Order: sequence, then C-alpha cells, then structure tokens
Amino acid sequence: MIAAWKKRLRTLLERRETVYGVNRRNVELVYAHNRRSDYPTADDKALSKRMLADHGVPVPRTIAICEALYELANVMKRLESEEEFVLKPANSSGGNGIVVVKGRSNCGGWLVSGQRVMRQRDVHKHLADIVYGAFSSDEPDKAIIEERVQFHPLLDALSGGGGDLRVLTLKGRPFKAMLRLPTVASGGRANLHQGAIGVGVDIETGVTGCALMGGKPLEVHPDTGVALCGVQMPSWQQVLETASLAAGAVPLGYLGVDILFSEERGPLVVEVNARPGLEIQNVNGAGIGVALAEYAHG
Amino acid sequence: MGGIKTTSGRIRRRPANEDIAYWATLGVLLVAPTLLIAYKVLVNDYSLAKILPRREYSVTLAMSLDGHNGRARVKTFIPRSDEVQQITETRSSDVSNMQVRVESDQTNRVSIWTGGSVPDETTIEYSFDVLSTGRQYRIAPELQVPEHYSPSLASYLVGSEAVQVDSEEILATLSEIGADQGPILQRLQAIYELTSSFPIRPFKGTTDALTALRLGEASCNGKSRLFVALARAAGIPARLVGGLIMTSGSKRVTHQWVEAYVGGHWVPFGPTNDHFAEVPENYLVLYRGDESLFAHSSDINFDYRYRISTKMVPAPEARTAFGQFNIWALFERLQMPFGLLQTILMLPVGALIVVFFRNVIGMPTYGTFLPALIAAAAKGTGLGWGMLSVLLIIAAVSMARWLMQRLRLLHSPTLAILLTVVVVTMLLSSLAAERLGLGELARVSFYPIAVMAIAAERFYLSLAEKGIHDAIVNLAGTLIVVAACFVVMNSLALQILVSGFPEVLAYVLAANVYLGRWVGLRVFEYRRFRSLLRAEASE
Repeated sequence: MIAAWKKRLRTLLERRETVYGVNRRNVELVYAHNRRSDYPTADDKALSKRMLADHGVPVPRTIAICEALYELANVMKRLESEEEFVLKPANSSGGNGIVVVKGRSNCGGWLVSGQRVMRQRDVHKHLADIVYGAFSSDEPDKAIIEERVQFHPLLDALSGGGGDLRVLTLKGRPFKAMLRLPTVASGGRANLHQGAIGVGVDIETGVTGCALMGGKPLEVHPDTGVALCGVQMPSWQQVLETASLAAGAVPLGYLGVDILFSEERGPLVVEVNARPGLEIQNVNGAGIGVALAEYAHG
Repeated sequence: MGGIKTTSGRIRRRPANEDIAYWATLGVLLVAPTLLIAYKVLVNDYSLAKILPRREYSVTLAMSLDGHNGRARVKTFIPRSDEVQQITETRSSDVSNMQVRVESDQTNRVSIWTGGSVPDETTIEYSFDVLSTGRQYRIAPELQVPEHYSPSLASYLVGSEAVQVDSEEILATLSEIGADQGPILQRLQAIYELTSSFPIRPFKGTTDALTALRLGEASCNGKSRLFVALARAAGIPARLVGGLIMTSGSKRVTHQWVEAYVGGHWVPFGPTNDHFAEVPENYLVLYRGDESLFAHSSDINFDYRYRISTKMVPAPEARTAFGQFNIWALFERLQMPFGLLQTILMLPVGALIVVFFRNVIGMPTYGTFLPALIAAAAKGTGLGWGMLSVLLIIAAVSMARWLMQRLRLLHSPTLAILLTVVVVTMLLSSLAAERLGLGELARVSFYPIAVMAIAAERFYLSLAEKGIHDAIVNLAGTLIVVAACFVVMNSLALQILVSGFPEVLAYVLAANVYLGRWVGLRVFEYRRFRSLLRAEASE
C-alpha cells in the first residue's frame, strides 16, 4: 500500500518535470523564444497572413480586408457576389467573432454555420462590431474576409465539418501536433474549450493516436461514428514543411501553427499563435517536455 | 542558444547574464531589508513586540431624562487616565438648555449637567475611547501589616454605615477565618476565599457588608463591601471600586470590585469573578469609594445605557518608537487618515496574494490588481457587505446586458451604459438599505465607483467573450481571492509591521521576483493534467 503510494508519488514528481504548466510555458518557451514586440506578428491575423504569404506559405485566399468603418459599404458590395466566405477579426482569440458563411439563403441573406441565417444588415453589423473592437477588448480592429476552404475529403469524413491541425514548432521545427475536430455540440467550432475533439497526431508519421473530448477519451466521432485512432493524415511531409515554412515567416521561436487540409491546395496555414495552449499535452497523452527531449535528440 | 538535454527531458538553457541578474536581484531584495531591520532593532531599539495591535474600546454613555421644561441636574462619574487605563477622545454631546462642567478631586472625576428649562425626552451622550492594559500583582508572602499608615489613608481603615468594620460579627468572622493575624498575603487570601466562596445573587440595590455576611450570599457590591470591611478590620486599607466590564454591546449593568493598599500600591481584587490581586484588561474604573454612579434630580424619569464597541488599533508605543522614515508622522503632518495609510501600504501585499492565487494555485481572477482593490475598498463596509455589493452590481450589469442584447448596440456605448447602471444600482441599493435600516449596506455608495465599474466591465467582457460558465468561475475565483486579500490586508499586525518597517515591502518584491520565474505546475494544473501525471500513463 505504502509502496504503491511511494511509486505514485515518485512517478508524479518525475512526470511533472515533463508536463508544462502555464508558468513553465511562459518562462521557458514563450518569453525565452518570443519577443513581446513580435507578438503582433501572430496576434494580428491580417499582419501575419501578409507575412506568411510574402514568404510563400500557402494561405487561404483573401477576399477583402475591412480596416475602417468607411470601407464597410465597399466591402459589403464586394460580398454581394460571394456565396461562401469566412469573416474573422484580425485580433481575437479562441475563435471569437469568426463567422463561417456556407451559402446563400433566400431573401438575400446568407446561411452560416449552426444553421443560422444572416441578413445583409447582420453581416454589416458584425463587420462593424469587429472594426469597432467588440472582439478585441475594445481596441480598433480589422475584419478579414477570406475564402471558405473546401476540406480534404478525409477531414469531412472524420467530422462531417472539417477541422484543423495545430502544430507546435520550436525554432522553426515542428515537435508536437494534434487534430481538432468540430462537433455538432461545439457549434462547428474547432476550439477544444468549446467542446471540439482533440486527436493526438504522431509528429513523425502523421498517424492519429488517442482522442479526447471535454477531457474524456473517445474512440469514434460522436456525429459521424468514424473511428478516430490510427488514421493517416494526408500529405504529412508537406504538412511539416508548411509548418516549418510558416515558422520561418514570423520572428517567433515558439509557435502554434494552425493548418487546414484543403482539397485542392493541400495544407494551408490559417493562423499562427504566439502562446499556444497546453491542452495538446492531454490530447497526445504526453507532456511537452517529452516531445522536447526527442526534439533535442533529433 | 544551445540546449543541454537533461534527464528530465527539458531543454535547460545555460546560465546566462539574465540568470545572474535574477539571483543578484533576489539576493539584494532579501539581504538589504534584513540588514536594515537588524540595524533598527539592534541599534535603534525598535521592538518587534510593539507591532502587536491593541484592543481599543469605544464607550458611549447615553442618558435620557424628562425635564418637564423645569430644572434638572444629572451627575455621573467619568473615567480618568492612569497607568492601567488610557482615556482619549472624550466627547460630551451638545444638549440644548443644559450646561456641562467637570469636577475632579484626588480620586474621582465627575461630570455634571445642569439646566433651567429642560424639555422632555432629552438625551445626553458622553463618549470616550479606552486603551486598557489590565494588571497582575505579586504580594511578597513575608510582607507584614505595618504599624502605622500615613494619615491620608485613615479614611480607608474606618467603618461606615454600609461597611461595618467595628461590628462584633465582622471581628468574629475575621478570627474564624484566621485573617486577624499573620502577614498581609495570608490575611487577604483568607478574606478573598471567604468572599469569593459566597454564591452570587443578582440582588438589586445596595447590600451592606453585614447583610452579605449574614446571608452568606451576595451580589458584587455586597461581596465587595464585606471584603472591604474585613480588610479594614484586619488593618489593611481598602476601598470599593465601581466600573464597567467592557464587552461589545449595550448594557446597564455596572460592576464593583475592591482595592487593598499593599506595600505602597492599590492592589485590585475581584471576589465576584475570581480575580486575586489582578484586574483584567476589559475592566474600566469609573470611580473609587462607596459612591452611587449616578445622582440626578428626582422626578425626571432618568435612564441610562452604556454602548461599547471594540476595534483593534496600533499600540501607541509603536507610533513613537518607529522613528526613522516615519510614514505615520508624515501622514499626520499631511492630515491624511491613518486608514488610508493602512490601505496604501497593504496594496502591494494584496497584489502578492493575488499573484500567489493566480500563479501558484491557478485560481482565475479578473485582473491582478482588481481583487486587491476590491478588498481595499471593502474596508469601509466590511467584507460581507462589500462582496454583496459586488454581486448586486454584477447582477444588475448582467441583467442590463441581457436587455441590451436585442438592441445590438456597439461596444463602447454599451460599456458607457453599463457604467450608468453601476452608478444607479449603487444609489438605489443605498436608498433601499437606508429604508430597511441597514446602515452598512447604505454605505455601498461610498464603495469606489471606479473599482466597481472595472469589475462590472470585466465581468461583462468575460460573459460576452467566454460565456456564462467562465464568467462565473472567474467571479467565484475573484471573490475567493478578495476574501483572502481582505483578511491579509486588514491584519493590523501586518499593517503596523509594514508602517514601522517599510523595508518589508522589499520582501514582497523579492517574493514577486521569485514567483516571476517560478515554473512549477499550478495546483489546479495537477488536476488538469492528472492523467499525464499518473503511473499508468506511460505503460
């Protein structure tokens, strides 16, 4: 009994050196590798998208960028001909303010994710909110309107609604990855805190491991019934190269690169994150320290 | 930057200049204040014992009388300062048509209110603050009853109507209990044992010494008179003491005990509540001698009540002892209240508490300063009411937010509306509290508006951005940390320590520097990553 507890305690003391908490992540990864003045290169999605595109990193096609209220009328006119697009604030976190437009609805509106309809003036108001800073702590912001990426059939088969891949890179080299799949319960969002599924991905091979939803292990996707473990992600080498290329495009040493699998163009970088979250450890079933040790070897 | 692989698998950076700077900063922040404190204690005679706060009693005597628009006179004893009790802040309320004067003799002080045409339902209030120490005496066992006393003590040896020193029964009892011979201590012990063994009866009015002896039971004044009679018969000067046992609340009951003159000191004895040669800290002496506490003209329907409240205050010696860099003195010169000084000095400590809760425990809060600021603001109203007003305002803000949702307003005007909601809520709750007679809650409007507005805005933002669950978790975390900050920031001992030794704040800085690079798992993260930390995980 006591021996079992001793063993438990010893394991805990060893393991906690490899599991990164917020404190260790900030001191040893974020502050050590990312200069504060460089944060906007990740936080401002319009800026990072331009930097990524300039470096030849594949990114979703930009339809328009709305930087101020006076541009709203023009942007709305530009959108009239669009069937599908994504609206997002340049400075927001956790997927706040992102609207995915999936097609035209009757009466001149659009159909958006979650089976809602947005009328012309709803879109107008949303864009104004973004520019006004409703999703960026009251700071004036830019609204990005970009193409809605057609997902690789594998992703649609897995979740019924796409998903993205988070790759952690240190000094330009990927060392940990996970797949984030939306569910009906998460409202179509690929954010783990909002109920999306996290699936661990082996960084060497691109094969999925265990899956986690709301902190609980999972075998199959609850909406599609498709098995989530042991799936080979498409064009994995290209994914890793894209992540490296993206990491080289911004002056941040420690980075979370978010990648979409598009049907036509392969992996596309949707955004980069200067302070990627820690839930990836639970999803992969191993601390960041374990991956970093292998990183140091390789 | 080359990484070195360690057994734990982390990349550990080589000690760099920043590490040296870190440890040097930490060292300076720990050593310098320690040296300063040591210097003050060893060379300048600062005493750490003085940082302990003292209990101060605020006493208000409220007297009511019906003067029938005629002449009225009220006289009562008021306490005087001596080596055991310090009386400050004495105030006598202004009473229309009555004049007040104070008279003193060698032992007592009286205050007399007189007036020519005093109306009915007149109230006189007399209030004062008391810092009292209590005292214990040790009587040398070999000390004998002296043959002569100075003539000034003669009146404390003779009998009176209620203290029948020369009565046969008193003298018989004296020899029966063996108090007529031997050293002073032995005699006093015998007298004390007899009087304190009598059952206590809540008799009203005066009981004389002989009656108390015959009945074998008595109230405090009967026991005290018997004690005095026996002591005087035994050749030890003794006198009655009248006063108040100070406990928080409102009371009419006063108390009597005695003092015996031993070896040049008036030594207190309380045969009612088992005090032998000692007086507790909460006994307030109002007068000495066999006196009536109140005297007043008849036919005025006189009544009285003592209201007593307590608060902790810095010991007066601490103020004067901490001479160097004396911020107390500075605040007094600037005529700023001591309460403000306490708040300002404790804010860094409060912020450290917040940092600890956030970075070591992992408790989510709204901002780093906000819980400390709310705790500081709650000082005026008390923790419970402070938290209640935070909740009230947040409830109002959420309600307003819900109502405004359908209006689809832009962000900044929304926040400006919410500030108005905060102000109106505070005014309305003050109004309602005043109607309900909740004085403390009525003071919610004194609760700093800016702090409340920030709290409400943070709650609104987190409600809007992260949803109700996160907003409530953050609110709960904030309130828990507010409570912790409140307890620590209101610790008077800490406040006096920081005002006497401001260099203690360097320790606070050191703690922040240390926590600033502390990379351990937060307590809540052990739970979050529990599956990774368990033994099964790798197998």
